[in-house]
Amino acid sequence: MGVFQEMLDLFQNRQNMFWTLLWEHIHMSLLALLCAVFISVPLGIYLSRKKRVAEPVIGAAAVLQTIPSLALLGFMILILNEIGTFPAVVALTAYALLPILRNTYTGISEVDPAVKEAATGMGMSSFRRLRKVELPMAIPVIMAGIRTSMVLIVGTATLAALISAGGLGDFIMTGIDRADNAYILLGAIPAALLALFFDFILRVTEKTSKGKALTPVAAVLGAALLVVALPLFSFNQKPDLVIGGKMGAEPEIIANMYHHLIENETDLNVEVQSGFGSTAAAFNALQVDEIDIYPEFTGTALTALLDQTASPGSTEEEVYERAAKGMAREYNMAYLEPMQFNNTYALAMREKQAQKLGIETISDLGPYTDQLTPGFTFEFANRQDGYLGIQEVYGLTFENVETMDAGLRARALEVGEVDIIDAYFTSADIVEYNMRVLEDDKNLFPPYQGAPLMKQKTLEAHPELERILNQLSGEITNEEMQQMNYMVDYNDADPSIVAREYLTDNGFFD
Amino acid sequence: MITFESITKTFPDGTKAVDDFTAEIKKGELFVLIGPSGCGKTTTLKMINRLIEPSSGSIRIEGADLTRWNLQELRWNIGYVLQQIALFPTMTIEENIAVVPEMRKWSKNQISDRVDELMNMVELDPSVYRRRMPKELSGGQQQRVGVVRALASDPDILIMDEPFSALDPITREQLQKDVKELQSRIQKTIVFVTHDMDEALAIGDRICLMESGRIVQTGTPHELVHHPADDFVRDFIGDRTNEWDTPVKKMMSCKSEHSVNVADLPNSPLYPAPMYIFDSDYHFLGRSREGEIEDHSVTVSPETMLKKAVEYFETSDVDALPVIENGKLIGVLSYKDIVRYMQQFHKESGKESV
Repeated sequence: MGVFQEMLDLFQNRQNMFWTLLWEHIHMSLLALLCAVFISVPLGIYLSRKKRVAEPVIGAAAVLQTIPSLALLGFMILILNEIGTFPAVVALTAYALLPILRNTYTGISEVDPAVKEAATGMGMSSFRRLRKVELPMAIPVIMAGIRTSMVLIVGTATLAALISAGGLGDFIMTGIDRADNAYILLGAIPAALLALFFDFILRVTEKTSKGKALTPVAAVLGAALLVVALPLFSFNQKPDLVIGGKMGAEPEIIANMYHHLIENETDLNVEVQSGFGSTAAAFNALQVDEIDIYPEFTGTALTALLDQTASPGSTEEEVYERAAKGMAREYNMAYLEPMQFNNTYALAMREKQAQKLGIETISDLGPYTDQLTPGFTFEFANRQDGYLGIQEVYGLTFENVETMDAGLRARALEVGEVDIIDAYFTSADIVEYNMRVLEDDKNLFPPYQGAPLMKQKTLEAHPELERILNQLSGEITNEEMQQMNYMVDYNDADPSIVAREYLTDNGFFD
Repeated sequence: MITFESITKTFPDGTKAVDDFTAEIKKGELFVLIGPSGCGKTTTLKMINRLIEPSSGSIRIEGADLTRWNLQELRWNIGYVLQQIALFPTMTIEENIAVVPEMRKWSKNQISDRVDELMNMVELDPSVYRRRMPKELSGGQQQRVGVVRALASDPDILIMDEPFSALDPITREQLQKDVKELQSRIQKTIVFVTHDMDEALAIGDRICLMESGRIVQTGTPHELVHHPADDFVRDFIGDRTNEWDTPVKKMMSCKSEHSVNVADLPNSPLYPAPMYIFDSDYHFLGRSREGEIEDHSVTVSPETMLKKAVEYFETSDVDALPVIENGKLIGVLSYKDIVRYMQQFHKESGKESV
């Protein structure tokens, strides 16, 4: 029962956020459902009168549904060149088309031919026959399709958090990232209840209409439309600058520091939009102007974005200089000065096991590649400054390699599911789980210092940003960063507040 | 008046459903199209309200070619009764009947009065059945609604496509009588499709016998029975010239003074005797003797020939026999029924000799 108590406490502490995310979830789901209904029902009716084209069209909708929902969300970013609610709603709509389309088509096609003939023979026009006879008879089947789609949408909408569309999925992603079940439950349980609630409303609607009157159906449609249209009437002030950040405590804290600093010294209206699942997602969002600034690590900029290798033993300055030049040349982006802490990659093991096997450096792993199972993030497993480099520089190829989400590694190591993980140097996990960090004796990992990355044109539009953000240059030590990460990951502190406290305590607002 | 002139219908697959069909249906007559299945009778019928278009030839109503009518107005003016009944399942009985009047933009009061009138006409109490759904009614009740739905806006023509074939024999006979009576009262032109010669003979003013899309013979029931055009007609009609070889179902009374529901037994008069008793499902229970139920073993089936039934009368001491089918009392055959039938039979035969 403990975890439920934790969830209730979390709900108490995060009420504002909860209601915002719930609203986002409802809004996104209803919008997608309405779009699906307005596309599928007329299309289904049309197909029931043009049977020859029905099969291919329904087949196409079926293909849309076979695409894994995660992949569909990903495609939408590429196709629409945008992140957030819009691509999420498009993806959810595409996903929900089939059940409604198929049921509308089936419901109308399966109206007793004798009844249709009676209607025609009595002199009903095609439209009147549809409205008075076919639709009322097909309503139960159509409603069943809508209910299926609705459950599908409410469930899949939790994934929309991955492309920054918000909703209850935010809680679930945070929960996975921090290996915190209370967060996962706070997202999952309301999502499930929401599906049940909508299902209940639709069932009552169907019962009231009894396949007779279309009025209750129209009433519910109207109510849904109203909910969806509500934000159009509320003031929707667009922020001047959007600060992005990858998933996790550290990027979120840094992004919030940028936010506080800029708002403190300018009149710009700044918003933080963090939670991007990978480097590629965040950088892509920057390229399409979805966000304006985000903190990127120097090592990542060099190896992942510029596809260069850092020669072993490079200094922090060298890596930053090369990255800044490269970003300016290749992407026309400005890369301001980095902070002090170095959140480099590291390999970590359980302290006890490392002691027993006498492993202190990465090279010491040599004899154990067939016994020890590493658990790497997807990103690390495929990076030159990750497992690929370990194979090349250290000549270590492990027999079994597990790949898993970043938030799960520490726990997996703790319970012995894996023996080696890639860790971030400033991660609070290292302290919390009593891990031994292996020495990078061949200097594979380049330095990873956080620094603000933005388009050149953003800096030209707001030249004061350079001075404001460079205040952080050389600030924040490894220990300070680790401490702040710990506050967020283990004490559940609000990243915005942690960031503000650091800035206040260190005299940035004086 | 409906005129068919050299109507031919060839379906896309090459089947010739109707071949050079020429006929004239008079105003106010009940015209029966009959023949074995696949003879083209239903196709011919559906060409009247243009559910099927002829491949060649022309159909005229009151001298005007069908294609010159507005399609919807034409259909509003032709009541249509289907074999499958096909009431609209999501509408109440009242709404079903009101379909055509609504399209014709009658006022609410006018429609409501008309619904009352029609439901009373087929003995469905409006106060009970108005707001019922079709599936809450028995098959016979549904088809009565089907018939009055077709009559709702007082069309000049009624077309009926095997309307009673899905109903049980008692209900069917009752409805045949109702239709015949209706027609004599309201003088509609009725085109009626059936494959049942008994039905055709019972209700038709004229009968048109078809085979393979062609007309074999058109004439009054009497003409068909007594002057069949060829062996096909004779075979199709069967031998109906000897009155003693007629099954008793042709003359029995469905509602008889000699039968009573067991529930009404205490209030029923002791006379006439015998009094046969059935329960709410028409199961035959026996006969009444001084208010008690007594077994009764001498019964006939609806297919029993008259000459056989008369033997039963001779060997038993009763004035009426129960007609039983599958344990149910479907009618009573009394001396009165036999006398009435004989009179009618000889009146028809008499016509022949005139």
